Amino acid sequence: MDDAEGMGGVEMTNVTKRFVTPSGEAMTAIRDVNLVVKPGQFCAIVGPTGCGKSTTLTLAAGLERPSAGIVKVSGRPVGGITKGASFVFQTDALLPWKPVEANVALGPIFRGTSKKAALSQAREWLRIVGLSGFEHHYPHQLSGGMRKRVSLAAALINEPTMLLMDEPFSALDVQTRAIMSNELLTLWEKSRPSVMFVTHDLEEAIALADRVVVMTAGPGTVKATFDVDLPRPRGAVQEIRFQQRFLELYRQIWESLREEVTRAYSRQADPNAAKRGAA
Amino acid sequence: MTSQIEAQAALNVSDAEGDEHAIALAARERRRRRKYLVLFTQVVVLVIILATWEFGTRFGLIDPFFFGSPTGIVLRLADWFANGTAYGPFWEQVWITLEEALLGFVFGVGSGVVLGVLLGEVPFLADVFGPYIKIVNALPRIVLGSIFVIWLGLGLPSKVLLAAVLVFFVVFFNAFQGVRTVDRNLVANARILGASRLQVVQHVVIPSAMTWIIASLHVALGFSIIGAIVGEFLGAQGGLGLVIATAQNTFDASGVFGAMLVIGILALAAEGLMSQIERRLLAWRPKSTSENNIAGI
Repeated sequence: MDDAEGMGGVEMTNVTKRFVTPSGEAMTAIRDVNLVVKPGQFCAIVGPTGCGKSTTLTLAAGLERPSAGIVKVSGRPVGGITKGASFVFQTDALLPWKPVEANVALGPIFRGTSKKAALSQAREWLRIVGLSGFEHHYPHQLSGGMRKRVSLAAALINEPTMLLMDEPFSALDVQTRAIMSNELLTLWEKSRPSVMFVTHDLEEAIALADRVVVMTAGPGTVKATFDVDLPRPRGAVQEIRFQQRFLELYRQIWESLREEVTRAYSRQADPNAAKRGAA
Repeated sequence: MTSQIEAQAALNVSDAEGDEHAIALAARERRRRRKYLVLFTQVVVLVIILATWEFGTRFGLIDPFFFGSPTGIVLRLADWFANGTAYGPFWEQVWITLEEALLGFVFGVGSGVVLGVLLGEVPFLADVFGPYIKIVNALPRIVLGSIFVIWLGLGLPSKVLLAAVLVFFVVFFNAFQGVRTVDRNLVANARILGASRLQVVQHVVIPSAMTWIIASLHVALGFSIIGAIVGEFLGAQGGLGLVIATAQNTFDASGVFGAMLVIGILALAAEGLMSQIERRLLAWRPKSTSENNIAGI
């Protein structure tokens, strides 16, 4: 447990989060979640739709407070926005009215760097993610994959010790997603922040992560944790899928995940059961 | 043999390029011709309306006492420009109205944006003041002009205030709505990147609400001119509103139409300027065809 105290380590102890819906009903998103992400570890969180995967991330980011339990990042309880965290959203959270370089420069500017220095830093990061020459484009002029690269640059420019990713590549087509996954791994190897990566795609989770956490159908809690012992650097995620060890892990984790997916699905089909589950 | 095939292929490519070029040229030519046709028809429509009006009054079909006539209006305007009105030079009257409208616009937009953003950002204030603002908004605000004249007298301030009040509500509700519809992800992301609350407002909330605010400025501009002129109607020592009121009292239809024409031209010019500013401020937005169509109307 102690090694979760280092920079970027995440430790959640008996964390429960309830929301009050606009109609005044209480809804439990996650219940008694216990989760440890070591510094520098790549942790993927999988689970059926609506199991509170994203809630777990917002708690780690400090955007929300837990209703019960303790969330610690880098050994300190989270209160306010977590220092050293960066977030990559499913829909790119880029400001459409700012050119790409100004979007990437936001992080340093918010932290008090001069505009000029921030912009030159931003251009450097755009070069790293392969977008030199697009500095002055607006986000809507770029393709989905390019916007994702901008989002990555904007997240990494702050040199986070913890990177939170909420289904970052799910809106991309399959080929682009594979390319972006490879790129993410390359970038991650360089600075090794700890990563919490929410996805509904088990293949993606195993190909990228050191550890896969399976969550139960809502209200979500941690059902099982699997360590992925595939060697690093992983190489192309498209090819790792054919390795024997990958298939074994996939079968193992899918066994665990399948039950939850089935349960969530049947609950969706029956509104009364969903209500009972929420209560 | 191979070189022959290659040459043939190259020829095909240049053929295809030539075709595309020709098609693009033809399309551009069609568009140009259509533009001129529209312009020409517009001029024809105007000429027909003016001619019907003019000859209608000449031949006694339309009573010029009530409806004036195009030549009457032109002569009346020429007279005003040359000899001035009863309250001084005509240009001065135009400038008075313009000054009132512009000041009202500036104050109205300023207060509308500030209060709209403030109430949009602070839900407590919105809940407290929301009902009051709705009540004031429900009043026929034009009659506030009477109160303003009583408070501030016949001079410039009462008109500026009326124009500002009219402008304020339009801008306020748009700014408020704009702030409320800001993408929560953008705000969350800015906060995680280290933005303070003020930085979030500056970098995310206000630019995001800008689309809404700018959309309201067109209507607001019209309201500022209405505010100034109605204010002058209610009591003034100068301005186009007073010129119209005087013309009305002397049953001078040409005078009313003449002043209307001047106001229309002013409003159109201001509108054009506003469109320019809008284009500059919203340059980041993707061009969409539907928008162009609306702008065309």
